[in-house]
Amino acid sequence: MKSETAIDPKIMEEIIRFNKNVLNAPKLVAAPDEIILEVTPHDVVQEVDKTRLLHYKPLTEKQHKTPLLISYALINRYHILDIQPEKSWVRNLLQQGFDVYMMDWGTPTSMDKYLDFDDYINGYLDGAVEYIKNESSVEKISLQGYCTGATLATAYTSLHPESVKNYIATAPVIDGWRDTTVVSNLAKNMDVDKMVDTIGNMPPEFMYYCFSVLKPFEQGIEKYVNFFKNIDNKRFVDNFLRVEKWLSDTPPIPGELFKQWIKDIYQDNLLIQNKMYVNNSHIDLKKIDMPIFTQVAVGDHLVSPECSMPLHYAVGSEDKTLRMYPTGHVGMIASSLSQKKVLPELGQWLLERS
Amino acid sequence: MSSQPAENTAEYYKHLSLFWTDLIHLMSSKPQALASTGPMRAFASNSKKVATELLEINQSLMEFNKFLTEYYKQLTETWNEAQKKVSLKAPDVPQDVEQIEAFKRIWIDIFDNDFTELFDSKKFGENYGKLVSKELELTKHWNNITNVILQSANLPSKEEIDEVYKELHSLKKRVIKLEIELKKKKVTEKK
Repeated sequence: MKSETAIDPKIMEEIIRFNKNVLNAPKLVAAPDEIILEVTPHDVVQEVDKTRLLHYKPLTEKQHKTPLLISYALINRYHILDIQPEKSWVRNLLQQGFDVYMMDWGTPTSMDKYLDFDDYINGYLDGAVEYIKNESSVEKISLQGYCTGATLATAYTSLHPESVKNYIATAPVIDGWRDTTVVSNLAKNMDVDKMVDTIGNMPPEFMYYCFSVLKPFEQGIEKYVNFFKNIDNKRFVDNFLRVEKWLSDTPPIPGELFKQWIKDIYQDNLLIQNKMYVNNSHIDLKKIDMPIFTQVAVGDHLVSPECSMPLHYAVGSEDKTLRMYPTGHVGMIASSLSQKKVLPELGQWLLERS
Repeated sequence: MSSQPAENTAEYYKHLSLFWTDLIHLMSSKPQALASTGPMRAFASNSKKVATELLEINQSLMEFNKFLTEYYKQLTETWNEAQKKVSLKAPDVPQDVEQIEAFKRIWIDIFDNDFTELFDSKKFGENYGKLVSKELELTKHWNNITNVILQSANLPSKEEIDEVYKELHSLKKRVIKLEIELKKKKVTEKK
């Protein structure tokens, strides 16, 4: 009996092309370490401990009066908001005439294991807000929080409403019990006391594990196959490496801050129930009475919409807007959709209130 | 001995080891006392602690292995289940580029769905939480052994360094509070 195996020549072509792309990759592409993630020019205007306050240089002659401070997340770094010129959140806002500041939380070391919510909210964030108010001669600023940075910004806005003119919550981590993501499942079952007592700060490797279990096959296999398939596409490759570099660079989280975040948000869910305290001060969401704009991504697999949306209903503001976008956690802030839809809507909303 | 439960056996060897460590320590305490400022004196007096930690590490390791086995069992079962679903949905071997692409999509979608379902499940969350907790216990034992060595070299232990960090943190807070009060006072004086 004759055995014949018919292989489509196109399959062989594909394999040979893929192999060639893998071999050529180092010649065509920069190593991730050679890529500088900071794109838009800025000055470091204030440094406190390991944190830095960045002030971006204006791109328009005319600027709106109220400056905007972005409180970036505690996971990964702020670079995703300025990942490349055509997808930069910061650049877009500058082009719309806003005066933009950014919190860089820096890289905590073992020495910082006792830093807690109070240090971040009433120390670093409040220090940045006071600096901006003095520099811009304004009584209030606009504040934007992203992801866990929005948890901090929400607590700050509740404690210091007199300093916040407008509040923008982008994919905020608010209602831990309603969160349906893998991250929330791991957080709910974590012995966080033992973790902090034993190893101090939350190690970046652990955070990396938590992210690697999100869509493990698409993120762990397919995206790298696509990378090699598109190795000749300079724009695709540049964007891919920038995002990969950003993803792999996550600083440790100070132990005490991490402990309170996991307990108060994911395990006991105190923030949304108006039962959370920071250094004996009550975080009452009803005290957030300024205009608030909540941005939620429908396909967010890091912070599910059910976790973010309750903020819109819990605050005391009368002027409140909730927008849902057909994208993911990162797509909402660094994609063509964010440039075409999310940022113009945010800009218009801010312009009317700045 | 072999018929006794594993826990009793561990306890027996723990007792046996501590008995001899204690006895040797008592018997040798006089010569050690002669060099009471030397590093061996401190190490010898702490050697019991090292022995206890090593014995307890074994116990923690057994429990860690139990949760690790369950962790891999869950992953393997999910993998097998997902593979079955893929075989049912795409039973034929792909013959051309388009079919390979379609097969890949099916494979990734099914595997991502099934594994996300597993990682979202209560059984995974609980077991993973216990696995990490046991791993932390192993780390704690290792830290304790390291502390013995550090102390024998007259260096501060992790707890002592932590105390310094805590004190520094508290001092920083007090300084910031004082600075704010000073600022307020200056503003009031200006008025």
